[in-house]
Amino acid sequence: MTYAVVAIGFTLIYRVLTAVNFAHGEVYTIGAFTILIGATTLNLPLWSIVPLVVLAGALTGYGIELAGFRLFRRFTDEASLKSRAVREATLLSSLALGIVIREILDLIYKGDWQSLPETYQLSTSLDLGGIYISSGEAVIAVVSIVMLIALQLLLHRTSIGLAIRAVSSNMIGAQFSGININRVVIAVFVIGSVLGAVAGMVVSLAYGAIQSYMGLTVVIKAFVAMVIGGLTSLPGAAIAAVMIGVAESVAGIFLPSAWTEMVAYMLLIVFLIFLPNGLFGRRR
Amino acid sequence: MRNAPSIIVRLGVPLALLVVVPAVLALLDSAYFGRIAQLILITVILTASLNLLMGTAGLLALDTVLFYGLGAYTAAILSVNYGTSFLADMAIAITLAGLVGLLLGFALVRLVSIFFAVATMALAISFHTIALNWDGLTRGAMGYRGIPPIRIAGYEIDGWFGMYLVTAIACLIALFAVHRLTHSFYGNALRAVREDEETARSMGLSTRGLRTEVYVVHGIIIAGAGVLYAHTNQYVGPDNFVLLESVLVLTGVVVGGIGSLPGAVLGGVIMVVLPELLRDIGNLRLLVFGVMLFFSILFLRRGLLSEVWALAWFRRAAANSPWARRRAK
Repeated sequence: MTYAVVAIGFTLIYRVLTAVNFAHGEVYTIGAFTILIGATTLNLPLWSIVPLVVLAGALTGYGIELAGFRLFRRFTDEASLKSRAVREATLLSSLALGIVIREILDLIYKGDWQSLPETYQLSTSLDLGGIYISSGEAVIAVVSIVMLIALQLLLHRTSIGLAIRAVSSNMIGAQFSGININRVVIAVFVIGSVLGAVAGMVVSLAYGAIQSYMGLTVVIKAFVAMVIGGLTSLPGAAIAAVMIGVAESVAGIFLPSAWTEMVAYMLLIVFLIFLPNGLFGRRR
Repeated sequence: MRNAPSIIVRLGVPLALLVVVPAVLALLDSAYFGRIAQLILITVILTASLNLLMGTAGLLALDTVLFYGLGAYTAAILSVNYGTSFLADMAIAITLAGLVGLLLGFALVRLVSIFFAVATMALAISFHTIALNWDGLTRGAMGYRGIPPIRIAGYEIDGWFGMYLVTAIACLIALFAVHRLTHSFYGNALRAVREDEETARSMGLSTRGLRTEVYVVHGIIIAGAGVLYAHTNQYVGPDNFVLLESVLVLTGVVVGGIGSLPGAVLGGVIMVVLPELLRDIGNLRLLVFGVMLFFSILFLRRGLLSEVWALAWFRRAAANSPWARRRAK
């Protein structure tokens, strides 16, 4: 389920800009570290850290947009917006930003696994009619579903949602209808990154372990989910992300746990080659 | 002096690598500098061949470590377990890399830019997972120690000086191959495919065929570099082949100038020399590279030696070279 929340933010950004944001995994890491800092050095209660996580996610998203993407959107004509050079430049710049964020966190925390204090961890076990799950996993599931529904409402019921959909379907056309593109793109990055940071938060609450490299594999899995979900479909990406999670745990039954990492990558390559439109994508 | 560029390229580079640098190294007589020189040459092979794929053919790839590791592990496994010689390892690694490259290239070249990049990234991470976990073949996290030094025709090349010479010769062969592929009609065809696939196809170029070919060639050259690395380093472990190493090679290409062979060589040199100069800051190494990659994309979009400059230079060199004139007579 956690992949789903990260994948939604990632797909949202891809859908609007057709650009891959490799720094998205670091937003997830920052969400987790905000909890850690709030819990260990500041000793805040949990309810007061949550807005901090949202704020940290929003700020990081805004920063990534300014540094990694805005600078490369210098020209607004159609050809340069769609050009391969711009897309690859943003891919590399977000990759570089991701490395910078990750290494800074790595320097501060020496690359070790940090653990949250017991009191903050959600690890009590719940009984759902014979099925036992930990409260952290239940929180992950609930938060994922709530955020998905909230995002759908935002996209389809509010004016900023309308603007986002307009920009994602035709950036030039949206500009001609008087939509401020930069504001919409900032909104997209802020929304996507808040989702990512919250995902990082709930995961660290559920499992209690935080490390500076935790975002790296998650962002690739988000990408895999996006491809399987058909590139532009947010519910598709979410469903695909859940499928990847299930596939990994099923593979965990047959394979040693170290090999389950491979499942997502193999799925990615198989889907890119044989089903490039994904499961829920429209044929273009 | 009109044909100066041609003489510099055809005689100057081999002369520098085989005479001047060894002379300086012999004067310094330090194993440390000898090792650095080898590492520079191996990295130059990596950046040059990645540049062929990423610059000239326009396929942004992050799977350098896949072929590099394939070459290195092949050499390690064969020479430690079966006692094969350097040249045999090289031949087997190159064949293997060619086959893997053909298989992957056939599947991957149909992908568009960023999807190709992410698919190759997934391959690079998968390779690390395999190297780390397939204990029976790769000895897991321990890696292979005690890989025998280079031995050619029963003659053992043990010291750093001999190893440097072997690396230099291999690097020259690789650079010559990449040079001939980049600065020729073949290179022009690749650039045409890069710039506009539909136009290239309408002019009768097999776009997928060309891409597959160049992917295989880049894989073979990088696997050769991997064999050199295994035999000169005498240790191979999974940590040498993480995704970030790919990103480092890619940074070298970007800093040097995407599509420019002299730029790639310069980038390869920078990628080894800079961390050695910055040895004191230790952990900051990757941070510096991240910042460097970011700013070179932002401010040095064409790199230190741009592709346009390099192509014009080589074109002038080719037109003025004594070889071209003799042909014209």
